[in-house]
Amino acid sequence: MAMHKLFISAGAAAVASGVLILAQQAPSVWISPGSSGTLPQQMEFPTPSGKVGVLLANGPVEMKDHPFFTPIGTNGRACVTCHQPAYGMSLSAAAARELWNRTNGKDPLFAAIDGSNCPDQPQDQEKSHSLLLNRGLIRVFLPLPKDAEFSIEVVSDPPGCNVSSTYGLKSANPMVSVYRRPRMAANLKYVTNPAPRIVLKTGALSNSDPETGRAVSMNFMADAREATLTTQARSATLGHVQAAPVTADQLRRIVDLESQVYVAAPFDRSAGTLVEPGGPATLGPKAMADHRPGVLGDNDYDQVFLMFDGWKKPGPSAQDQFRASVARGADLFMFRQFWLRDAAHINSIGLGNPLKRTCATCHNHQMTGQDLSAGWVDLGTTNYPRWTEPPLYSESRELPVFKVTCKADALPHPYLGRVIYTSDPGRALISGRCVDVGSIVMQQFRGLAARAPYFSNGSAKDLRELVDYYDRRFDMKLSETEKQDLINFLGVL
Amino acid sequence: MIRQVLFAFALIPAIFAQQRNFIACPIVRDTKTVPCFLAEYEGEAYFLTIQQDISAELYPPQLLHEVLVEGTVAPGPRVCGGIPLKPVKLSVMPELNLACNTILPAEPGIEAPPTRRPAGPSTRQAPITTAPPPPERFTPPFSERQWKVAFDFDSAYLNSRATRMLSQVAEFAAAAKAKSVEVTAHRSATLLSNGKAVTEAEAVAAKRASAVADLLRGLGVDATVLKVSSVAEVSRPDGDNRIVSIRVSP
Repeated sequence: MAMHKLFISAGAAAVASGVLILAQQAPSVWISPGSSGTLPQQMEFPTPSGKVGVLLANGPVEMKDHPFFTPIGTNGRACVTCHQPAYGMSLSAAAARELWNRTNGKDPLFAAIDGSNCPDQPQDQEKSHSLLLNRGLIRVFLPLPKDAEFSIEVVSDPPGCNVSSTYGLKSANPMVSVYRRPRMAANLKYVTNPAPRIVLKTGALSNSDPETGRAVSMNFMADAREATLTTQARSATLGHVQAAPVTADQLRRIVDLESQVYVAAPFDRSAGTLVEPGGPATLGPKAMADHRPGVLGDNDYDQVFLMFDGWKKPGPSAQDQFRASVARGADLFMFRQFWLRDAAHINSIGLGNPLKRTCATCHNHQMTGQDLSAGWVDLGTTNYPRWTEPPLYSESRELPVFKVTCKADALPHPYLGRVIYTSDPGRALISGRCVDVGSIVMQQFRGLAARAPYFSNGSAKDLRELVDYYDRRFDMKLSETEKQDLINFLGVL
Repeated sequence: MIRQVLFAFALIPAIFAQQRNFIACPIVRDTKTVPCFLAEYEGEAYFLTIQQDISAELYPPQLLHEVLVEGTVAPGPRVCGGIPLKPVKLSVMPELNLACNTILPAEPGIEAPPTRRPAGPSTRQAPITTAPPPPERFTPPFSERQWKVAFDFDSAYLNSRATRMLSQVAEFAAAAKAKSVEVTAHRSATLLSNGKAVTEAEAVAAKRASAVADLLRGLGVDATVLKVSSVAEVSRPDGDNRIVSIRVSP
């Protein structure tokens, strides 16, 4: 409660000045469900490398009784539990760890339903929440699709939920438990920008909004299982929050809030302010709010993250040098060619395998770096042999391993065949298709410094590990300088 | 007239002699620009295509898969080190073949044909390689129209060319207030140059019918006028019947 008051007081001060700036990544920035007070239109929170900025485009938001901030369910959580402004409207593993230590694991974030490795484990023990504490992962439990083209077996299960007699695959209510990072609830006009009516990757119709019938982006959620922010909010309140069905007005208010939040870094300790006249036009949350969605950036004239030309001139100061590194990183992202190969839903949709291209080929949606079309891809992070397990920081696996066996009449996975070992079948748990095993929807690149670790399975604890994975995965042969340039570039987004 | 017929028959062996139907691992040849895709048959390298983008008329093959090549030897010099085939059809065989994994480095003197789309991002001069033709606008009077959707061997995947065509079918059916939309799916076999025939899976015709019909329904074609059938029999091993034919009657 004391921390809550700290936040309110900071928030109140901010309304007067117009911008909330908190000096340190401290407990005071954590918004607990049930908080009251006003979120100012502009907020800045410290990150390990600078600040993350949050802009509420439609103005300040009163938290009291707002369904995004109110524990409307039975477990004490609200939407804000996993979508914290200070962590880029997501959550970092470090924040989860800090919260555990501060509350002795009593915060609703650690609710048994999905804030622990499995609900049947002793909830007062840290090891029962290891995936949330180590990687910032939330348990997602899904039934196998009825018409799945494959069977699934548990090979190993460190978290224990898939072999649980109550919650596992052979329980009375069979479920597959996978563990995924909460995605940032911000910049959503880009994420929900409607894709073409026919999904290039399937040759079939896109999902549609159940209310309007319009095609939807299929570009949010790791497995694209929800059609709209409304259906997502409804499912999340029923599942993560364990609430009774919410009202249409509550859903509308949640979606209204999510739709006006813009997140990006406004300041980096090495680059200085990122939002200054004449600076790169892509940076800062206001740029996110002002820009239009749906622009293809895989070109040399209207690039994914626009231009960093003004930072290319080498100057004597450390800040100049760092900015020049960022600009080089932007160019590497756009123009550094490598063999992009064996990535299902990229190489397999007519582009050929391999494809000599750049990062921007797949990460092509201007301002976010997602895919402009429905963006699930088997990059390899969840499937053997290119998976990230065990992560670099650990000597043992932490995630379950499943054996997926495709039926004889199914189209096999294009690069892994008919028997696939995976830690998360991804899109296949929704589509039931073998070709989708391990495919995960891309995430946006903004506010990264606030919300480590990275990848859907939280396996890259920092941007260095993320860049290293791509370097290994595609044999990019990046030099140390190139790696650092990419890291610096990603860090200021 | 008789002489013309005899002349035509005399040409047939020559035409067949120029036909190359074979299944092989693709070979990727890097160049200064985009990579070339080749394949070897009876000790000879054939040029198949180059890397383009999703709107291209011909999609490249894929490493880790064999490719079914159905092409005609074209006159002219070698391209990217291989004998050019044109026209050519390429089908990625669905099952994995880990042996198909060869990427050759760029070499002086071996260059890819000119391409508007470079290996990196597209450019202002060439936003995309081969922009699709603008969609046809349908106006009365309407008469019966037919379309043929082509597929890769053993595949029911509707690629972007196919979905563009089906969008046109749906638009025509709506404009013409179609009383009947007949969808007939087929499978086929291909006679390889070594004399063996390869035949598509029996179930693939039904899968093609289902994929096309589902999409047409989704695009607004009235389910009550949609007549869907598939033909599992294989008529002749010419590879030309990997299609779904659609007939729309006003």
